[in-house]
Amino acid sequence: MRLMPLIPWTEKYRPKSLSELVGNEDAKKKFIAWLNAFLKGKAHKKAALLYGPPGSGKTSLVHAVASQFGWELIELNASDFRSREAIERRVYGAATMGSLYGKRKIILIDEVDGINAREDAGAIPAILKLIEKTRYPVVLTANDPWDPKLKPLRDACEVIEFKKLKKREVMKVLSEICRREGIECDRSILSAIADNAKGDLRAAINDLQTLAMGKKRINLADLNILGSRAEQASMFDIVRTVLTARKPEQALAVTRLPSLDYEMLLLWLSENIPYQYAGSYRAIADAYEALSWADIMLARMKRKQIWQLLPYALELMTAGVASARDKPPYRFVRYSFPQRLRMLARTKSSREKFREVASMVARSLHISVSTLRTEVVPFLRVIYENDPDMAKRIYRSLGLSKKEFEILIGA
Amino acid sequence: MSTELWVEKYRPKTLDEIIDQEEIVSRLKEFVRTKSMPHLLFAGPPGTGKTTAALALAHDLYGENWRENTLELNASDERGIDVIRKRIKEYARTIPLGEVPFKLVILDEADNMTSDAQQALRRTMELYSRTTRFILIANYMSKIIEPIQSRCAIFRFQPLPKEAVKARLRWIAEQEGVEIDDEALEAIWEESQGDMRRAINILQSAAAIRKKVDVDTVYEALGKVRPREVKEMLELAVKGDILGAREKLRALMYSYGLSGIDVIKLLHREVLSSRSPLRLNGLPLADLLVLIGDANYKIVEGADDEIQLMAIISKIALLSSEAKSSGAARK
Repeated sequence: MRLMPLIPWTEKYRPKSLSELVGNEDAKKKFIAWLNAFLKGKAHKKAALLYGPPGSGKTSLVHAVASQFGWELIELNASDFRSREAIERRVYGAATMGSLYGKRKIILIDEVDGINAREDAGAIPAILKLIEKTRYPVVLTANDPWDPKLKPLRDACEVIEFKKLKKREVMKVLSEICRREGIECDRSILSAIADNAKGDLRAAINDLQTLAMGKKRINLADLNILGSRAEQASMFDIVRTVLTARKPEQALAVTRLPSLDYEMLLLWLSENIPYQYAGSYRAIADAYEALSWADIMLARMKRKQIWQLLPYALELMTAGVASARDKPPYRFVRYSFPQRLRMLARTKSSREKFREVASMVARSLHISVSTLRTEVVPFLRVIYENDPDMAKRIYRSLGLSKKEFEILIGA
Repeated sequence: MSTELWVEKYRPKTLDEIIDQEEIVSRLKEFVRTKSMPHLLFAGPPGTGKTTAALALAHDLYGENWRENTLELNASDERGIDVIRKRIKEYARTIPLGEVPFKLVILDEADNMTSDAQQALRRTMELYSRTTRFILIANYMSKIIEPIQSRCAIFRFQPLPKEAVKARLRWIAEQEGVEIDDEALEAIWEESQGDMRRAINILQSAAAIRKKVDVDTVYEALGKVRPREVKEMLELAVKGDILGAREKLRALMYSYGLSGIDVIKLLHREVLSSRSPLRLNGLPLADLLVLIGDANYKIVEGADDEIQLMAIISKIALLSSEAKSSGAARK
């Protein structure tokens, strides 16, 4: 049997026309009205900002318009590098110059709320300039348009809201896909998929494709393999399967779950190994050894794009961990959510503040932030605790307030 | 702006003020006199005056306007080679001000760049060689790829000799009205070896405790400098309390904000100290160094900080439980 290249159904069945696009009728009307005004040169704003939850049809609306009217779609999405330079290079010319064949264009900058202030430096002013100079309609999309950094963009755009899709709208699309793929699928199953997706059509289509993998008929039992989109419950079971497996092969079974989030699994295992294997230093050390190798395989895979390493990583984190020597006898353990995620979320803003102060100080001391943190901050802490006057002279001479100095030394 | 942090306050501003490294300084002065120089590579251990020499050279070349003609970058802080290239490109676009026909790029901690990034850097160096000269600074010359080495005049900075460090410390103490005896100076030397930055930092933190610094003051300061958590983390690991050790590790990483590499550096120092809980427990130093070095390598390769450090902690717990039981068997 020849293997077909796997096209994501979310792409394969992207609507080609406005009538194929389900839901959000008000948003569609508003968008078309704006486009019409633009074409007549009567629009107040030269850009539109479509915002709403994931999978509600923002990007698809723009694709549908482009393909229905035969316009050239110039697209910059989140996976592209979106610095000022990149926007100018990739989009600015296209937006300000006419096309060779007189073809109309539409410019799409996807997920503007994902623009990173640091990595995509100068992106927002570049987009504003693009909007000012463009000859063609510019469309931005976002999940969260109320992010303060997007304020200038909001002001320059016609803002159009998308709502979550309704369950029947999701089901309608799913059953249409089943029909075109020749798949038999009970309505109760489509209903379960739609429930699970919670209004996110992209998620629902992905789940459907996962279930239909290599099948012509989807049964109720297949639903079990679907990673519940309320993720947590199933992660407990996966961790239990790995850590209580009597044979390595039993642990290996979890790698066949289609929606396995292996990076999350790594964190969950790391959190819970010391609980399940408590009492055997050998077992804990062996398990972490396997986990650390799984971790490095994933890192190499991502850095060097060597996808063949994925199986080794998955095997190491499951069968590898389960093959630890001297495992203590089975006992029931209540597993814990990876605490570090909680801690990282809690300390995020204080770490950012530290970074801000530290990079300023590091620059004036001609050292790196890392050297500052390990070679200088510990001494500053001792000075602060023992000679407040000296500390004060130091932070003043560095141009810091007392508060900033305390952030720096973690007081 | 003068800084009240002594390492910065007493950093020599001109080549004339640098008292050690005479060989190097005299050659750098020749560059100033002829207003021409090749790319330079300064290699040597921390605190031996590499950055100071680079800044002093910039100062002597351009006078008070040296900042306009010098781009200072730290490879560890810039986000990748693309950012570095972009900054160099923007900076090299304008011509140098004044009589010197080139501008300076000082790239510190260059040996923290991957070899791929160094290849890209090499091309950047060639691209702007008409208008800029690079000073690359590194701890380890062997970590700089050969094509870059071959394009640079290499200067090896040696650890400062004991008498030079002690004399400098004595002089700074005098300027600051701090009394310090020879035994205390010896103790600072023991702890810092030829690392001037560390020596001066120890002196200043000791002086913060007492204006009359003796050997006990030095040890008191040093005792307070190391985050207690590193030592406590190791003690817990040695005792076999893996969860307790993990709590300390998380305090270091998520409260203190240390990176995995920062923790590794502290662990490394702790392991080498003869008073470390690890050494007291009779664990072979070689095993510990392999553990730490291996984790360091993996983290640099992109692995997860916490998982790699937990692998070390659990291995230490295992090794020390084995050491204990074999010790008991021998009795």
